[in-house]
Amino acid sequence: MTSETTAPPALRLVAVNLLGMVEHPALGGSPYRVDRDGRSYVPTGDGGIVLGLELGDPVFGLVADHAAPGACLVHPDPAARHALASYACIGNQVRVRTGQAAGASGVVLGKRGEEGRVIVGLAQADLAGLRPADEIAVRACGQGLRPAGLRPDVAVMNLDPGLLALLPVDLDGGADAAVTVGVRLTAPSRLAGNGIGRPAVSWDLDLQLPTPGADGAGDLVMGDLVAVDDIDARYNMGYRRGWVTVGVIVHGASPLPGHGPGITPILTGPAGALRPVPDATGHVGLTAAMVQLQ
Amino acid sequence: MKAATNAGRLVRQVLSGEVWPALADRHGYRVGPDGQPFLLPGMGGVTLGVHCADPATGYASDHLEPGASIRHRDPAANMALQFLTCVGNQVRVAGGPAAGALGHVIGQHAYVLVDFAETAAANLTSGDPVSVVACGQGLALDDHPAITVKNCAPDLLARMPGGTRPDGRLEVHVAARVPAEAIGAGSGMASEYANTDLMGAYQGLGEDLSLGLEGLRIGDVVALDDADHRYGRGYRPGYLTIGVISTGQCMLFGHGPGPSTLLSGPSDAFWLVDDPDANLASWLHAGASA
Repeated sequence: MTSETTAPPALRLVAVNLLGMVEHPALGGSPYRVDRDGRSYVPTGDGGIVLGLELGDPVFGLVADHAAPGACLVHPDPAARHALASYACIGNQVRVRTGQAAGASGVVLGKRGEEGRVIVGLAQADLAGLRPADEIAVRACGQGLRPAGLRPDVAVMNLDPGLLALLPVDLDGGADAAVTVGVRLTAPSRLAGNGIGRPAVSWDLDLQLPTPGADGAGDLVMGDLVAVDDIDARYNMGYRRGWVTVGVIVHGASPLPGHGPGITPILTGPAGALRPVPDATGHVGLTAAMVQLQ
Repeated sequence: MKAATNAGRLVRQVLSGEVWPALADRHGYRVGPDGQPFLLPGMGGVTLGVHCADPATGYASDHLEPGASIRHRDPAANMALQFLTCVGNQVRVAGGPAAGALGHVIGQHAYVLVDFAETAAANLTSGDPVSVVACGQGLALDDHPAITVKNCAPDLLARMPGGTRPDGRLEVHVAARVPAEAIGAGSGMASEYANTDLMGAYQGLGEDLSLGLEGLRIGDVVALDDADHRYGRGYRPGYLTIGVISTGQCMLFGHGPGPSTLLSGPSDAFWLVDDPDANLASWLHAGASA
């Protein structure tokens, strides 16, 4: 039973200014985590400010755990932190308010789940001036977006209203009026790991993709669009046969079992209404030029 | 032949906990597969009327935790309780009207879940103290080095049918086999904590959601295809994980009845026997629902 979805009335979006604090990475009493083969490792790059990693960089091959291209924002109040992660959308503008990089502007590149993190990209020079606990304002806008012409059975989420037109998404692309989306690859739902059963507006979905071959085949880059078959992400993310979800790769691979490169979902719908078009070599997803980070 | 183990070298440790209350927030509702709001009991407190060998699903419930849900007030002591307690460990009520009643651990779900006889459970409520004799972490199979054992009391393993076959494989009886597509919330977490929710086991929903798992019972021993739980929970082709269904009905999408992990290793290290009686009630809980 797939529910019929009727087009909601066209309501105007509002933007809200939120406050995020640049995260400091946190570890427990032991520095070690255990990888999928039972080896201990010290996680690097898991949250906080990661330098030298940008949209377009490969997600595998880093000596890192869930590394994201930029800085992660959090909030000391748990409820405010969940709101930050739920309302911020990819493409939203951010501005550094305090510290050495005050005045610098950047863009939301994705989000991570659990307690909630917003990943923001800034120019590398500005990132280098950031310090944990610096304040960054996020102009959050996008949840509730219903682009004109989007078929009612396809849901869009986590996207700034201005970004959709720049992504390889054709709202009326197919002969049967399916929404078509250019993606790097389509993964089967059995590769979906951490994030299943969690709300798509505030969690990413980790994909347990195999490590690419020595020639790099099968690698992804930060910002790639990726489709996952048989996942419905309208609310909580879960298995639904004949459904498809498309997301943006927002962080890199992880040695942990059940984890991997993560997507922030942006589109979900029945496979007949939302059609990913994979292109392993030529795909271009979210780029630095697109969000003016260059 | 029963599998030889190191059970004689394990230690037993007395842990304490209390029945933890059911928790909610003032907004109440959570959302189902089609966004439908629901507010249903089942998690925390003492859930009555559902025991090992009863259907896992088909209840107006969410995250159904059969019997008593146990935690420790101190966060670090609680993690010790959650990590060290094993399926099959004995639990004794240490105070209140049900004092002295005995039950058995059937799994973990961010709570230690304890099945008591219905007459004992009826006198048990939030705040009642319990003692757990924890034993099982570190259990290993002498002749099956590729298989990791966890969360499994030695006497539970000894009572389960199967064992070491002449061809060297470990024979395990299972009530159901679970495809990798069914793995829901819990993927990526430590396999000594909480459990793995199974999707496609919802009752009464459409064929687009079903993975043929609606017949699961509480206490069923199940095999998870392509699941490696040796160092956490992840997808790995060619690996197999054996678990016991410790939680039941869910309405929350991406969740469902869930197995707590018992055994994990390469698929070819196992020999599975489909056996509808492969349930904790057959070996450990006789009379628990009397």
